[in-house]
Amino acid sequence: MPRVFITGLGFVTSIGNDAATVSGNLREMRHGFELYPPFQKPDIACKVIGTIKGFMTDSVDPEDWTWPAGYEIKRETIRSMAPHGLFAHCAFLQAIADAKLSDGDISNRHTGLFAASGGSPMLTYYHHDRMLKLGPARCSPLGIVASIVGTLNFNLVAAFKIQGASTGFSSACASSAHAIAYGYEEIVRGRQKRMFIAGGEDGNRDAILPFAGMRTLSLQSDPALASRPFDVARDGFVGTGGGVVVVLESEDEVNRRGVAPYCELAGWGQASDGYNVAISHPDGTGSKMAMDNAFEATGIKPAAVDYVNAHATSTLIGDVSEARALRSVFGEMGIRPGISSTKALTGHGLSLAGAMETGFCALMMREGFVPGSAHISKLDPACDGLNILRSTSTQAPKVVLKNSSGFGGANVALLMKKT
Amino acid sequence: MSDSVQPSQGGNKSLTLATKPFAPDDEVALREALKRCSPSTFEAAVQFRKTGNADHMPAVVIGVIERFVEPDLRAKLKDADDDLRLIEDLGIDSLTMMEIVILVEDVLQLTINNDELRNLRTVGDVKTFIDCKIRGLPLPRPTKFLPIEHIGAVMPVQPPFLFLNEASVSSTGANGKYKITGQEFFLQGHFKDNPVMPASIMLEALGQLAVLYLLEGAPTEPGKAIGSNTIFFTGCEGVRAHRMCKPGDILTLSIKPKRMKMPLATFEGAIRVGQEKAVIAEDITLTFAYVESAVVPAVISAAQPASESENSANPPLRVAINA
Repeated sequence: MPRVFITGLGFVTSIGNDAATVSGNLREMRHGFELYPPFQKPDIACKVIGTIKGFMTDSVDPEDWTWPAGYEIKRETIRSMAPHGLFAHCAFLQAIADAKLSDGDISNRHTGLFAASGGSPMLTYYHHDRMLKLGPARCSPLGIVASIVGTLNFNLVAAFKIQGASTGFSSACASSAHAIAYGYEEIVRGRQKRMFIAGGEDGNRDAILPFAGMRTLSLQSDPALASRPFDVARDGFVGTGGGVVVVLESEDEVNRRGVAPYCELAGWGQASDGYNVAISHPDGTGSKMAMDNAFEATGIKPAAVDYVNAHATSTLIGDVSEARALRSVFGEMGIRPGISSTKALTGHGLSLAGAMETGFCALMMREGFVPGSAHISKLDPACDGLNILRSTSTQAPKVVLKNSSGFGGANVALLMKKT
Repeated sequence: MSDSVQPSQGGNKSLTLATKPFAPDDEVALREALKRCSPSTFEAAVQFRKTGNADHMPAVVIGVIERFVEPDLRAKLKDADDDLRLIEDLGIDSLTMMEIVILVEDVLQLTINNDELRNLRTVGDVKTFIDCKIRGLPLPRPTKFLPIEHIGAVMPVQPPFLFLNEASVSSTGANGKYKITGQEFFLQGHFKDNPVMPASIMLEALGQLAVLYLLEGAPTEPGKAIGSNTIFFTGCEGVRAHRMCKPGDILTLSIKPKRMKMPLATFEGAIRVGQEKAVIAEDITLTFAYVESAVVPAVISAAQPASESENSANPPLRVAINA
């Protein structure tokens, strides 16, 4: 069976805009939350988000945006981007440097790009409103490619001259985990030698606040308490945005280029709840089946797993559902891998989450640590029997499981192995 | 292709723009719309909106184009003549062209249709186009880009005495390029062990471009066309050679008609190599005669596929340059 490796990472997240900062914050369990100015209004009950620092993308005009020094991006490139396009573009540049890829490695028919984002509600609204008010003749010619779901792959494929496979994935909060999974398939099937996986979300008012309609956002105004997966007092998720890029490569490419990968992406599984459009199955049946399928596909035994990066977003129903799924996979066999949710530190990155957290897992495997699940003061009794880590462990994980779940009851489980 | 630059008698010369008063709110909106343009662009736009005077239009259009050109290419626009090409020289793609048009529409309060945009290839095309829109004149005949095959098909002069590799012709003049290969037969003797393009040949090249203009660009009377075998050289004046031109140099030729009255047409011409002046001719005069236009439909139909492929990513001009 051909093997697939993670060889490069790039991060623009609420807990850091480079791998070193991200790693330090994970290890020290430092969160990236702040009171978000647009939410400090009486009619908005939600107050906190995971903010992206060093970028200013509030304007609907990309030429107004600012970003950290060191990234050179032309007007022609940025004019068709959503805010998360900028985040992911910067993460992409980091990932290229991190993986030590040459221009020729990036632009060829064997190198592809899969991306996942929820599009840009801010720009969709702006351009649509302009069209209705001023007529289509006054609309930006690039309004569509900047706004719609797919904007991330359109922009990155063009900017980095990708010539291999490219498409986008849309399974809400499982999207970028799906992108990684199918990127793995492209390489395993020999169709591509290398895949860039990009996740991104604007993480601004327009992207996050609509979830208030589902009453799924935390209403906590204390940034240190708002996101606390598995805690009995959790009251919803904290939204965030950003951009993360993960580079997947075939074994042949890793050997040819002589690079040291972060870890092996051993395989994956997926399954669906078949239950509700937005609510996870109370027993986590889809999530359990996804994990079972991942074990079956890879031949890895559950007992080999020493760390699970949970999907857990800090919602009432979702965390319990996943806890039950984990217990049915591990607990009944008496296996107790360490479990934590890094969303306690970053917030929930929606379509970005799977790629972001897979990137975190890759960092942990290379650097030899596992972060605790932050902000738990009283563990939800529903987690009884699970080894929810409360502090960072410096034991290097050998086999890591990454769960992701999205609307419609889509569940993805990714398995990573130390090299 | 029936458009002509000649103002039609009794054309709709309505200056509707001047009739709409320019309110302080409009100035605020205008300042916002032009916030990334130079102050002089904004000033010109204000003057235009207040007075409707089309003389301010070129400054506005150039200012808007400049705003959309990458900073490192803006220098080209500063000392550009009207022949500067939007795609090839300024890196403006069709989407950027749309952005330019939307801003120009907004600032000058015009409406521009998609099909009117297709033929705008040079800075001069854009200026002429907007000028005609503002003055309510018929739109100009678009600049035609002629690859070598097309030039060879219409010209009475043929290799090895044809000194044009590519050309563009509009109603206001023509531009061409010729690369001195070093294989030209006369360079063997001009001079001994020191090939230099003869000034007389460079003048010949300008004359050939003027012939091409007469055949492809010059306004003609209805039902008549200029016969390709009726054109001959009569004289030239004010010729200066400024620079020796040698194999490897790419001659950039341009001619503009000064006077045209049967049977004489007088042009001014210039040759540059890069930014350096090579040859100037104040007057080049050719004679010509009309023939019934039934003689030339082959030429006109030959132009059709060329104009169609002009919209493709790799226009014939590009191909010709690489050839």
